[in-house]
Amino acid sequence: MSLIGKSVIRTDAVGKVTGKTPYPSDVNFEDQLWMKILFSARSHARIVSIDTSEALAYPGVIAVFTAVDVPQNSYGLIMPDQPVLCGPGSDQAGADIVRCYMDNVALVVAETEEIAAAARDLIKVEYEDLPAVYDPYEAMKDGAPQLHLNTPKNILCHYRIRKGDMGSAWQQADVVVEGEFHTAYQEHAFLQPEAGIGYIDDEGRVTVLVAGQWTHEDQEQIAHALSLPLEQVRVIYPAVGGAFGGREDMSVQIVLALAAYKLRRPVKIIWSREESIKYHHKRHPISIKAKWGARKDGKLVAMEAEVVGDAGGYAYTSTKVLGNTNMMVAGPYEIPNAHIDTYAVYTNNIPTGAFRGFGGPQGAFAAEGMMNRLADALGMDPVEVRRVNLLTDDKLAIVGTPMPKGVTIGPVVEKCAEESGYWQRKNDTFERLPVEQPADPAKRRGVGFACAFKNVGFSFGAPENCWGTIEIHGDATIEKVVVRHAAAEVGQGTHTVIMQMAAEAVGVPMEKVELIASDTAFTDNSGSVSASRMTFMAGNAIRGAAEIAVQKWKDEDRPAVGVYQYRPPKTTPYDPKTGRSEPNFAYGYVAQIVEVEVDIETGHVDLIRVISANDVGRAVNPQQVKGQIEGAVVQAQGYAIMENLISMEGRILNPYLSTYLIPTVYDIPKEVKSVILEYADPIGPWGARGMAEMPFLPLAPAIADAIHDATGIWIDRLPLTPDRVVKTLRENGIGVAFS
Amino acid sequence: MKISVKINGKTVERDVDPRMLLVHFLRDELGLTGTKVGCDTSQCGSCTVHLNGEALKSCTFFAVQADGAEITTIEGLAANGSLHPMQEGFWEKHGLQCGYCTPGMIMASVAFLKKHAHPTEEDIRHGLEGNLCRCTGYHNIVAAVKAASEKMGG
Ligand code: FES
Ligand code: FES
Repeated sequence: MSLIGKSVIRTDAVGKVTGKTPYPSDVNFEDQLWMKILFSARSHARIVSIDTSEALAYPGVIAVFTAVDVPQNSYGLIMPDQPVLCGPGSDQAGADIVRCYMDNVALVVAETEEIAAAARDLIKVEYEDLPAVYDPYEAMKDGAPQLHLNTPKNILCHYRIRKGDMGSAWQQADVVVEGEFHTAYQEHAFLQPEAGIGYIDDEGRVTVLVAGQWTHEDQEQIAHALSLPLEQVRVIYPAVGGAFGGREDMSVQIVLALAAYKLRRPVKIIWSREESIKYHHKRHPISIKAKWGARKDGKLVAMEAEVVGDAGGYAYTSTKVLGNTNMMVAGPYEIPNAHIDTYAVYTNNIPTGAFRGFGGPQGAFAAEGMMNRLADALGMDPVEVRRVNLLTDDKLAIVGTPMPKGVTIGPVVEKCAEESGYWQRKNDTFERLPVEQPADPAKRRGVGFACAFKNVGFSFGAPENCWGTIEIHGDATIEKVVVRHAAAEVGQGTHTVIMQMAAEAVGVPMEKVELIASDTAFTDNSGSVSASRMTFMAGNAIRGAAEIAVQKWKDEDRPAVGVYQYRPPKTTPYDPKTGRSEPNFAYGYVAQIVEVEVDIETGHVDLIRVISANDVGRAVNPQQVKGQIEGAVVQAQGYAIMENLISMEGRILNPYLSTYLIPTVYDIPKEVKSVILEYADPIGPWGARGMAEMPFLPLAPAIADAIHDATGIWIDRLPLTPDRVVKTLRENGIGVAFS
Repeated sequence: MKISVKINGKTVERDVDPRMLLVHFLRDELGLTGTKVGCDTSQCGSCTVHLNGEALKSCTFFAVQADGAEITTIEGLAANGSLHPMQEGFWEKHGLQCGYCTPGMIMASVAFLKKHAHPTEEDIRHGLEGNLCRCTGYHNIVAAVKAASEKMGG
């Protein structure tokens, strides 16, 4: 029987339910030292001097490191624009400047954590304040303080899409709608705060045991900062306590490596929750001004958008995230005429970067908001207005090129409506059924719809590949199959799925498969666990490797080893003038319907039911697919209606789980119905597509649509917290009778 | 200060700093790292253990307060090498992803079931409100607790 499509129980479950599985904070070495980081006390300033003498004299302190100690004082995932340690004396231009509160200034290493913390307070830093800017629109103006050399007006990137003829386009429209959408920060709030330990391994390699999403990228960034050859750096991931994009960039990796390298002793660090929230990047707040036009029959004729994303002090993955938004802001629709400008802008706020959906949720909030408003303005059913416009294999995407084959957003939307119970299909037309209203006049129920698409894998010409190795051991019969793969297990279940796919590809039961993973010393580069790419990429790599190994096995090679690098079809960057490109090689498609109850007295929005229809191509492990859908929906629920990170002049004011509220079990919808659709991706392994981000995308706009359905009011700013909802309702004359 | 605590069935005596939190005593002094730390404000429940059979967030309690008490951690839950029905429930029902919340979630659930042998879904949601999970969306956790309650004769 095939292992593909079987809900095999996670291979890491026993260790996790018994508490035996070690996470980075659980690993200790006999002679380990402890590190504390001194972060910047300013949002924008030049560091004139750092006096570490008192800290160094503190009993139990082993070392204090500053900018002068970093061999190559720069790092960054897409460009090395951030100093490892800010301060004078390093040869890196601009490294004496702090650009946000999360900049690292000094590292204290001591016998105990308490000593390191106490000594950190004795470091004296002299700052010379620089004018700061916290609003991306202000940052783009002439005369605004410039954060980085070679980045005039702080514009990190500007993408354009110019399609069709905007001059005549609006005249064809019978209805035009406009809106201004504002999305907010989101904190990853993975349950395990950053932690790790740096040491020198038996072979003399600088080794960091840490939680991340891409061992080989961490290795590369450490090697760069330490000016070491790659093979002298090793990165190991034990269990990772959640990631969601929040571990894609460096946190403690480089500083641990630096201290271990200098001291030749193990050095450990554990961040508190406060440190975690204050000092790692966030989801981008993005403002989108949009204008969409359609004919009477619902057919879209034109759209226009200006997209501005706050990148914060450093690039992180902002150019890629905003690249995604640039495209997603047009939704999964055929639109003949389009004019889009998208900017990522440096400010003195906390940097922003990867977070489940990667620019997609912000784009979808605007695109779906516009579609729902159009449906309303046209008096058309929201499902019907989609059906007129959805992309297919034969239509051109907003970037002017065909989509990769296997576009299934049409059937996904229809299945979602059918399975929801809120729509009925009559003569191939979808009709909304009325929703029952509660007896309490203060409570109003509404139903909302949204759909989305999201790329699988790296986009826009970024190098994309994935290595896998299969070794078949035995003599006459196969005794065991060893898979080597670097994929990070961050909780999504990739290790289980990789073993399932390896067993299937070789044709052995899963018990015979062993996995060696997440250690740069034993595996080749597999790329990051991000962009919903790992099942797709690893599956193809494993299939390739297994094919070679099986052939060698037949040729009597013992052990029979297959090594394979999978490369998907090439993608291309945006044309700088028109935006034309082949942006992606695969997509996943999703549609959601939600029912909410709005309390018009308190503004509280209760998410009651969610139907999420997802084309996953092939559910390699259906139980895990369902788990990803439920997890994404609840994380998106937090994003849409609860999570409210407050930043004032670059400083985060609520860096605790007591003040930054994420959903508890009591907040979640009564039902999340996962509709798992399996329309094979032509190039996916066993047809599989990526799927873990997609269910995040449509939820916020679907909730906004449901609130409108319940109250008649559009709210275009996230999060939809009670105070915002009640205020907007009051401004529109709703609920006054009760106040 | 000298304390004597029965941990997972074994009595341990130790000299501890009066300011040491129970969670650090368990993790750093005794190496029982199954108990996790996820926050600084007693919000997340990752550190949940049993103190005399009741669920306790061990980050809100000093080690010295546990003097003379009986403590069970996740490491002490599986009796004689076989999983506790609650552990089985989480295992079978996919009640975990990254697993960081899992030990605390399981300890809270076991204590909860002692008081509510036949819980409804609603009861479970109330009972686990003090434990955060960022991965699963909680549905499978509720299902795991339900399954365990049925297995335990609920
Ligand atoms: S560590 Fe979060 S409640 Fe104890
Ligand atoms: S499984 Fe990751 S926090 Fe619960």
